[in-house]
Amino acid sequence: MDRRSLLKLSAATTTLQMLPGFAFAQQGGTFRVGSLCPVTGAGSPYGPGMQQAIRMAVDEVNAAGGAGGVKLELFTEDSQTKPDAAVLAAKKLIEVNKVQALIGTWASGVTLAVMPLTEAAGIIEMNTSGAPAISTLDTKDMVWRYQATNDRFGQAFAEICKKNGYKRPATMAFNNASGLGNTQGFTKAWEAQGGKVVAHVTYEPNRPSYRSELQKILDAKPDVIVTGSYLPDTTIILREWFQSGTPVKWIMPGWAASPDLVKALGNEVTEGIISVDSVSNEKSKSYAHYDALYNKATGKAGSTNVYAAMTYDMVVVLALAIEAAGPGATTAQVNAKIRDIGNPGGTPVFTFAEGKALLGKKEKINYEGASSKLDFDKYGDVTPDFGVYVIEKGQLVRKDVVSIPAGV
Amino acid sequence: MIQFLNLLINGITEGLVVALPALAMTLVMGVNRFPNAATGDFMTTGAFLAVGAQLLGFQSLVIATLLAALITALLSAASYELIFKKLARQPMIASLLAAIGLGFLMRSVISFFAGHDQRTFNVPLVRAWNFDGIRILPTDLAIAAAALGCLAIVFVLLYQTSFGRQLRAVSDNPDLARASGIRARSLMIGLWLLVGLLSAIGGVLLGMKAVVMPELGWDHLIPAFAAMVLGGIGSPVGAVIGALLMSVAQELSVPLLGPSYKLVLSFGVLALVLLIRPAGLMGRVDLIR
Repeated sequence: MDRRSLLKLSAATTTLQMLPGFAFAQQGGTFRVGSLCPVTGAGSPYGPGMQQAIRMAVDEVNAAGGAGGVKLELFTEDSQTKPDAAVLAAKKLIEVNKVQALIGTWASGVTLAVMPLTEAAGIIEMNTSGAPAISTLDTKDMVWRYQATNDRFGQAFAEICKKNGYKRPATMAFNNASGLGNTQGFTKAWEAQGGKVVAHVTYEPNRPSYRSELQKILDAKPDVIVTGSYLPDTTIILREWFQSGTPVKWIMPGWAASPDLVKALGNEVTEGIISVDSVSNEKSKSYAHYDALYNKATGKAGSTNVYAAMTYDMVVVLALAIEAAGPGATTAQVNAKIRDIGNPGGTPVFTFAEGKALLGKKEKINYEGASSKLDFDKYGDVTPDFGVYVIEKGQLVRKDVVSIPAGV
Repeated sequence: MIQFLNLLINGITEGLVVALPALAMTLVMGVNRFPNAATGDFMTTGAFLAVGAQLLGFQSLVIATLLAALITALLSAASYELIFKKLARQPMIASLLAAIGLGFLMRSVISFFAGHDQRTFNVPLVRAWNFDGIRILPTDLAIAAAALGCLAIVFVLLYQTSFGRQLRAVSDNPDLARASGIRARSLMIGLWLLVGLLSAIGGVLLGMKAVVMPELGWDHLIPAFAAMVLGGIGSPVGAVIGALLMSVAQELSVPLLGPSYKLVLSFGVLALVLLIRPAGLMGRVDLIR
């Protein structure tokens, strides 16, 4: 090796060492995980359950002897479902707690806000957000999404619209990346089928009333309104719609048209609303295992919180990747193992302990998650199926399961 | 035209709801000389207490609201006795920070006991009355009537009773008021009871339109604050006019700007008024120091 190439090499290694991802490999016998769930704010119907599922999975992994020779150490913060609060919390988790993975972000606005931080720190990010932009902004391939993208939700909405024979859809979106992602995904898919969207409104959060917004939509005389909305704003909008007395159908994401919506508005208002949500991997052994644990920890059925299954899977996937990467692996090396243990090609396993045992025998595994099969595409996105529920007499009755083509 | 009228109705109802906390803030600002940032959380407290009263069996929303308002009024008076009175001689910033802290405390206590799930009042939903396309919601009418009633009572108290005269005297010139033998203590307790009542009722009315969550009042504090500034700090009439003006401007801008940017217009109105009249619509310059 001549002097010039030696110089180049040493310059390259110095630069590599300066990258934060390499700087803090697993120190002190723990792998530090930061949880940033929406305990308060618009995500609060799900956040506490998500956080409990994370805690539950961390305990399970540690009880099984940890992963890759280390225990998981959990630090929790509340994202408040607000990007600004989430950024402060993420900074604290990254700079003070030195976490190596930040998991459980829910709202797309929150995930998009913390992604630059996790990317700069070279750590793993796992979320349940839907905004399409998350796929493309993830340049280091360290962001993993356990929920269907809003684009896919939009495609499912368009599919349902077609099946039900609606002709004049209008859209209403909460002004953030997720709400707009839903309605834009729908519009794209609907117009690709040759349909036309008769009206669109983007509305602001935290308003006491959405009458003017609704009026603008109803003036276009739609036969169905497709929303990208959350629970509190949906409650207000539906109450005002019902009182206005204009007949129209609704197609909504499941986080808005939930049992809590029925509780808030009663059976008459919510009758016939079509609620669409990704469904957990309900027939799998991993779901049964998770369901029992979740029920024990919270007293509620696993099906009450589809995101909790996702956050549970995050920890299991992370732990299996740590195990697969072996002792002393860097965060980047752990990250590189995620597709290896999640995607087809190995023996299907359904719990962390099963996976750890097989990995110990140097076998390839494919963790089939409780939330979905967890086959990550090139963006780190999964493609769960969608359940189509219709609210009948206050009950969400599943009518159909819609599958859309997996992402490429 | 029909659309215009519908938007106007929306704006007036929203404005009347915002007017209550704006009035509560402006009263404290005029007399105690600090922006009471806990006003929003007194609203939340009122709304949650009313939800609680309904759960406990007081089915009538009117009774539940009155109970909630009463308890909130007592809490408000207690907050004055225990916190703000002690800070009266400190710079304004001390009271402001204490109010923000008190707000945090109240929000946390509420979410500790009630959780973060949204709540709604047990009110029957009724269809709108439709007058050739002009839709009037009976619930909105009830909300507007309740707000108007409250405002009327407050203005009678302020301008027709000895309590109001004394209060205005203190607001005008505290030293002169003391020299004329006005006893501050009972007056202040009365003021803070009134402020608590107003906030709680404002919270319930807001909760009837929106949903009751621990962040309810906090999220709506800025509009109330802006209305107070627009109307002229310390001016009760100004706060009400300010709230109405901002809300109506906001709603009427929907056809022009779209709902995403309606907030811009209402704050544009605020900026414009302050440019022309720095003390606000009804304000006096000497109060702003």
